[in-house]
Amino acid sequence: MELKLLTAADVAAVMEIEQDLFGSEAWAERTVLSEIENPFTHYIGIFDGGLVGYAGLNSVPASFSADIQTIAVAAGSQGKGYGKLLLEWLMDRALQLGAEQVVLEVRADNDRAVGLYNKFGFEQIDLRKRYYQPSGVDALVMRVQVNQPIVLGIESTCDETGVGIVRGNRLLANALHSSMDEHAKFGGVVPEVAARAHLEAFEPTLQKALDEAGITIEEVDAIAVANGPGLAGALMVGIGAAKGLSLAHNKPLYAVNHLVGHVGADVLERGTVSLPTIALLVSGGHTSLLLVRDLLEDVELLGETIDDAAGEAFDKVARVLGLPYPGGPQIDAIAATGNPKAVRFPRGLSLPKDMEKHRFDFSFSGLKTAVARHVEKAEILGEEISKPDVAASFREAVVDVLLTKAIAACQMYDVPRLLLGGGVVANARLRQVAAERCQEAGIELRIPKFSLCTDNGAMIASIGAQLVMNGKAPSSIGFGAESTLDVTQVQTH
Amino acid sequence: MLLAIDTSAGTSAAVFRGDELVAFELYDDPFGHAENIGLAIQKVLATAGISTKELTQLAVGRGPAPYTGLRVGIAAGTSLASALGIRPIGVITLDAVGLQHTTGRVLVVADAKRKEFFAAGFDAGQQVLPPSVLSAVELAQQTDFEHVSGVCDARLVGQYALHALANGDDLSDVSALYLRSPDVTPSPGKKVTG
Repeated sequence: MELKLLTAADVAAVMEIEQDLFGSEAWAERTVLSEIENPFTHYIGIFDGGLVGYAGLNSVPASFSADIQTIAVAAGSQGKGYGKLLLEWLMDRALQLGAEQVVLEVRADNDRAVGLYNKFGFEQIDLRKRYYQPSGVDALVMRVQVNQPIVLGIESTCDETGVGIVRGNRLLANALHSSMDEHAKFGGVVPEVAARAHLEAFEPTLQKALDEAGITIEEVDAIAVANGPGLAGALMVGIGAAKGLSLAHNKPLYAVNHLVGHVGADVLERGTVSLPTIALLVSGGHTSLLLVRDLLEDVELLGETIDDAAGEAFDKVARVLGLPYPGGPQIDAIAATGNPKAVRFPRGLSLPKDMEKHRFDFSFSGLKTAVARHVEKAEILGEEISKPDVAASFREAVVDVLLTKAIAACQMYDVPRLLLGGGVVANARLRQVAAERCQEAGIELRIPKFSLCTDNGAMIASIGAQLVMNGKAPSSIGFGAESTLDVTQVQTH
Repeated sequence: MLLAIDTSAGTSAAVFRGDELVAFELYDDPFGHAENIGLAIQKVLATAGISTKELTQLAVGRGPAPYTGLRVGIAAGTSLASALGIRPIGVITLDAVGLQHTTGRVLVVADAKRKEFFAAGFDAGQQVLPPSVLSAVELAQQTDFEHVSGVCDARLVGQYALHALANGDDLSDVSALYLRSPDVTPSPGKKVTG
């Protein structure tokens, strides 16, 4: 006996059982086929020799509700506990999908089925008179609540102290404290300054998150913490705090990958990450291009920056132009009136010779130097430069190379989806060009809301919740900070 | 029941029942604080045969000590205390070591990295020189003290907490005692041409 997801090839076997059990009320073959092929349904079959039972669940992403479509066990195979097995599978799947309730209709005269549902905690919430035709039998509408795990996530990989709380796929709180202002006078993130700020900010940020979610720490089911990649000293504050919280009330602890967190953030908006997807993560610390086939099991790094992160390049160029830190918003603002074609700045790693080794890698160091050279040359010659033009041209070069490579990755891997994440997503031009080029190329573009794009605790909580919902074992208490954690390692055990 | 945590040198935890030390665990590794902090706490609780719910007090070592490791213990201790609804107690680790020397004049000295030292002076157990950062030369000039190792652990942190609380001292500050500013200077920016 084995459980297997149904495919179109199983339709005939399903029809045989349908007609035998339900006669004139059986589903039509085309209904069965469309049910199995619907992207939002999940059909499972029990095979013992041939198909002996099947069941289906429907849940539209972000709906927080799942419907049981059918449960059927062939007449000759009843009384063997197959119905219970199928229902258990459906309930597990509902949990994984983030459903907070499961709803179903059942024939009022089907005592056996009603009894089974009662055992699983289903209660009648409605009655539909003469629902089944032609028999005219009433339908009971039954419902059970699904307890989605409440997970608290901690983010301290760079200069943002984040504590987020989710319940399954639902965002309950996303508290953030940034030490950005403290780094401003240094023109970039200073690790020791960031680590000190995390320690001071953690407790107030935790309290803010708990208040926002309206829960106590005891109500949390699991703790998740980003253990890399990031600044070691900063990571260790989050890890220390996470271990303290976990030990206080014996809550399972999950060490999760910060970069995968950026991808997982989309779950909190859409209920799921449409997969497979290419993900472009651009921040002050990272510039990474990922191929995500499965959020928890299969994340591949296609390329990343070999020197500066894109956000870092914005900061450095801002300094060259005499603009304050952080450079991204400053450059974005003055570039608005500049001509992006005024200066043709280089696109790093975009030459034919780069394609073999660095097809999907980025380099912004040369671009930054080119801008500095341009500005210094003008100074030496006593020429006036147009800061808006330089800013717009620089921004154009960054945006161009990011999206050219991201879209090339979508095309090469035949993945018509692109997800953006990271603080640089705040850049207006990046979002605009991404929208244009994705539309041209027939690629679906996803940009979660900004508070979920920048570093935040909710995205870490979200990955933690996905691990819990999928029955993954917690991490052992002895994990440490991994500044260069590989993106393929979603969870550190 | 008091839980003491210290990551000023190695990673350690201790449990006291009243004044009595009932469990102590030390991991020497000077770089494994993040890895070992949970293990140390878990082990002392197991040895003492208690759950966290039985804890009534929690003390953490505030340093001065190398910062990266120090913060791990403070972060773990304060979040553990907060989750249990306990107000955490902060102990200056040089004071904790100084308490062990009740006679004579001692200078408790701990490595501050970068050829500097954290030091505090005590006369018959009374602090006469507050925690400071000294250069090697300045340290050598402290000739009227006997210099002793300032390596601390959770046992000493716990003992100091119990002692100071009995005296009615205020130990509510649990912030890290850095004694130095972050070692950075704003970048002047550099020329790329020429």
